[in-house]
Amino acid sequence: MELSEKLVRGEGRFVDDIQMPGMLYLGFARSQYARAKILKISGAQLTHKEVNFEVVEVGEGATTGGPAALSHPVLANGHVGYVGQPVAAVYSDDRYVAEDLIDSVEIEYEPMKAIVDPEDSLKREVMYPGVKSNAIVDRYFGKEFTPDPSDIVIERKIINRRIATNPIEPRGIVAAYDGHKLTVWVSTQSAHSIKGGLSEALKMEPDRIRVVQVDTGGAFGLKGGLFPEYVVACYLAMKERRPVKWIETRREHLLASRPGRGVVANLKLYAKKDGTITGLKGEVIVDNGAFTGGSGEFSPMFIARQLAGAYYLPNAYVRAVSVLTNKAPQGPYRGAGRPEAMYFIERLMDGLADKLKMDPVALRLINAAKETYTSPLGMQVEKSRQFLESAIKELNYEKYRDRENVGFAFLILYHATAGGESARIKVENGRLKVWTGGNAHGQRHDIFIKTLLKEELGVPEDIVDVLKGDTDQLEDGVGAWGSRSSMVLSSAVIVAAGKIKEQIGKKHGKYTLKALLEGKWDEYEFFKYDKTESSLGANLVTVDMDSYGRVIVKECLSYYDIGRILDLDNAKGQNAGGAVQGIGQTLSEELAFDEDGLPLITSISDAGVLSADLVPKFGIKFHKSESPLPSKAKGIGEAPTIGVPIALSRAIEKATGKLIVETPIRPEYLLPEEKA
Amino acid sequence: MNPPAFEYFAPTGIDEVIDILAKYPGEAKILAGGQSLIPLLKARISSIPYLVSLSEVKGLSYVDEGKEGVRIGAMTVDSDIENSELIRKKFPVLHDATEQLADPLVRNVGTIGGNLSHADPANDLPAVMIALDARISVQGRNGLREIKARDFFLDTFTTALEAEEVLTEVTIPFWGKRSGGAYVKFKKNTWNFSVAAVAVQLELEGNKCTRANIATTSVSAKSGRMESAEKILAGKELTHEVISKAASEVAASAQPTSDPYGTEDYKREILKRITREAIRKALSRAGEN
Ligand SMILES: Cc1cc2nc3c(=O)[nH]c(=O)nc-3n(C[C@H](O)[C@H](O)[C@H](O)COP(=O)(O)OP(=O)(O)OC[C@H]3O[C@@H](n4cnc5c(N)ncnc54)[C@H](O)[C@@H]3O)c2cc1C
Repeated sequence: MELSEKLVRGEGRFVDDIQMPGMLYLGFARSQYARAKILKISGAQLTHKEVNFEVVEVGEGATTGGPAALSHPVLANGHVGYVGQPVAAVYSDDRYVAEDLIDSVEIEYEPMKAIVDPEDSLKREVMYPGVKSNAIVDRYFGKEFTPDPSDIVIERKIINRRIATNPIEPRGIVAAYDGHKLTVWVSTQSAHSIKGGLSEALKMEPDRIRVVQVDTGGAFGLKGGLFPEYVVACYLAMKERRPVKWIETRREHLLASRPGRGVVANLKLYAKKDGTITGLKGEVIVDNGAFTGGSGEFSPMFIARQLAGAYYLPNAYVRAVSVLTNKAPQGPYRGAGRPEAMYFIERLMDGLADKLKMDPVALRLINAAKETYTSPLGMQVEKSRQFLESAIKELNYEKYRDRENVGFAFLILYHATAGGESARIKVENGRLKVWTGGNAHGQRHDIFIKTLLKEELGVPEDIVDVLKGDTDQLEDGVGAWGSRSSMVLSSAVIVAAGKIKEQIGKKHGKYTLKALLEGKWDEYEFFKYDKTESSLGANLVTVDMDSYGRVIVKECLSYYDIGRILDLDNAKGQNAGGAVQGIGQTLSEELAFDEDGLPLITSISDAGVLSADLVPKFGIKFHKSESPLPSKAKGIGEAPTIGVPIALSRAIEKATGKLIVETPIRPEYLLPEEKA
Repeated sequence: MNPPAFEYFAPTGIDEVIDILAKYPGEAKILAGGQSLIPLLKARISSIPYLVSLSEVKGLSYVDEGKEGVRIGAMTVDSDIENSELIRKKFPVLHDATEQLADPLVRNVGTIGGNLSHADPANDLPAVMIALDARISVQGRNGLREIKARDFFLDTFTTALEAEEVLTEVTIPFWGKRSGGAYVKFKKNTWNFSVAAVAVQLELEGNKCTRANIATTSVSAKSGRMESAEKILAGKELTHEVISKAASEVAASAQPTSDPYGTEDYKREILKRITREAIRKALSRAGEN
């Protein structure tokens, strides 16, 4: 049975389904304050005194070697930096009692004035003694340039506020220890990331740790990471020699996981009167949160580097900053810097078109890169003009161009292909077992893996078992994020299959299915790849506004270059899911805070996740220019979260005549004046 | 997401229910549909040591037409009210509200008694019952008493119910022949509860409005009547100007607070516009009778 079918039949086995004799349930007493000193903790079973490890960054956008003072302690070390930060741990063999114990922990605080707004953070006192600045990253990309005085300038402050990743299944782990080996079952995008992170955090030899991925109910970037709770669960399993389970509640997810976005841009776009863009200046400020351990050290640089969009941008000078704020560490969320960068440049392009009274798509066409080049900000921009011409045709833009409710987005998606990926194929008793370094967490990798094996080895789908991540079965691996699996994971499978074929050829003269299934074969391939690939995409969105300023998304169309289509349903599913998240980000999803850094959103009901009645019909067409990888495919997962907010914001801007520079768009901003 | 421990009772008679409530004053609470109570317990916002379920008490679920009005049993679920032809004909304001209340799953188990007793200012039925001049029957150790809906809601999550009292029935009196009502709900963008909602019930004589009740949801600490606005309507012909004036008065008397669903000003503006819509709708329905 396909994995997805199993999951919708309710036959999945998620981490919270795991039951083991003697299991302990772990719970966390969390900070009530955004910023405070801890004076006293009573009633806790574990505190920093005993469990004094630090969180290690893994997953997409992980960096190492940030300032030590900013590392996220697994349990608070004398002070807290955000509401929801784990301060102390409790446990019991009854999960109800474990929750009672959380309530019985008493923590005395000395509250301090929180730093909430990222721009304000740059003007405030430093958050921690010993750090020089609240900017933990402050770098420039590109080169200073002098704009032509006759150039037109579009200047904007553009904001993508923080949002939670909100997978259906929250975070969770089970850890067990047999005196030598630590085994971990976890809801994750990457078993190997978790293994590496645990080994580093716990200072344990890697071969004493086994990480097994269980069915994973969505992740969206979050679950590539290692979290304080996971380290504490492992510690406790080793200390008590009993299995330990920790399952996040939705409230904990909203307070203390790793939310995405949270970026402010102050940018100026320069152009000639004919619309040719000449330069970009300004700054990108990432709301990092109170500690490292997320992706806030990486994201400002990644965003700044992409700001040329898919255009030819001759000059650029951009400051990339990440600042400390009293919030949970920022993390990767579907797109992880890509949607922010494209949103910024595309909003500027629409602004420029308005100023020049040009059609925004015509303006884009003028500026689309005619040849592949490396932008002054550092990314290679592939030639994009031809693609845009075909997008205009395929999305039927001429039909829409004069309407008052249409928005268009042009995007470049940088796939996280660098680093490559691994696969292992084992043939035994007439069946194939496949393990891969990145694993499905709501996608359907099993489908295209089976398709590829049928092509490569001629094996029918029903004798192939695609297994989940398991570090004991697969030497090494990377993870499923950054629109990479259809590219590098699939290629690893192809190469591993090729190795088996070759061996059979050597042994039997030629490859036959019979020889494959009657023999015993076992091949591991780490498909190495150093380059960051890219692909182009476009979106077209139309809206209706009601008399109260509520947005009804009418049409949401995509045109993406995904190279070879490995599985059409998978591609359509990725498009629909990503588009829903893109609409949510634009209209309603937000993790809002008050001026004391207290979260205003603590329940899923207020998180702004779209309900089905707000979801439009989606349309998608594909451009198929094959990638240079063995699978010939290109990624799609993040394209809709990049393109849809752009096109939707523009559609609303057209329909209301109001400048849109923030997501989500506040409802009061869209309320139309009443006609007298 | 696991509630603190509680003891669970499911008695079969209302007297027994009252006895248990009286035995643990302040520590026991009734469990009806559980659609408000269970989430509070699971999120550990409340801790209630003794839960007394009404599920085994027979005869608390009905919509009956009497001589003076319609009586609705406390355990009647929202969907039974929504699907009642009698309610749709006689009290369209209540039909409007139940039709938009939560989602079908919640409506199939959530009860009118729970919706009123919970006294959440975001719940839809308090405003409707106030607008309809409904009376609420409650039973305690000293027997039965009736409280006017307009006097029932004291504050957020606080009613005139005593700790050992049970809400047993709601009576909605018939209104005059040319009467009608409407409930207009402006939902939150991705959630069932409202940014603002308003219930209006009117009675006409000739071309004048003789009786007008207006009550709001989600825009004050409790659902309550908007008497100053009602006065603007009473005794007058409901022209465009009169309606607008009353709607502005409702918006001015409400006390909404700013949150991510909108600023205070925004909510007042929404309330003004939906009140106008509700009065017009109520007027047209009253005129049809
Ligand atoms: C997803 C969701 C969406 C919702 N959306 C809406 C909405 O849009 N509009 C809306 O109005 N409501 C909404 N609700 C709340 C819902 O209507 C509840 O059903 C209602 O508030 C409580 O009714 P209940 O029967 O479930 O009561 P319970 O949850 O069982 O009880 C609620 C409270 O009332 C007390 N109580 C119950 N019955 C009696 C009685 N007979 N006598 C004395 N005390 C009693 C209980 O002790 C408790 O304090 C929503 C709920 C959910 C879960």
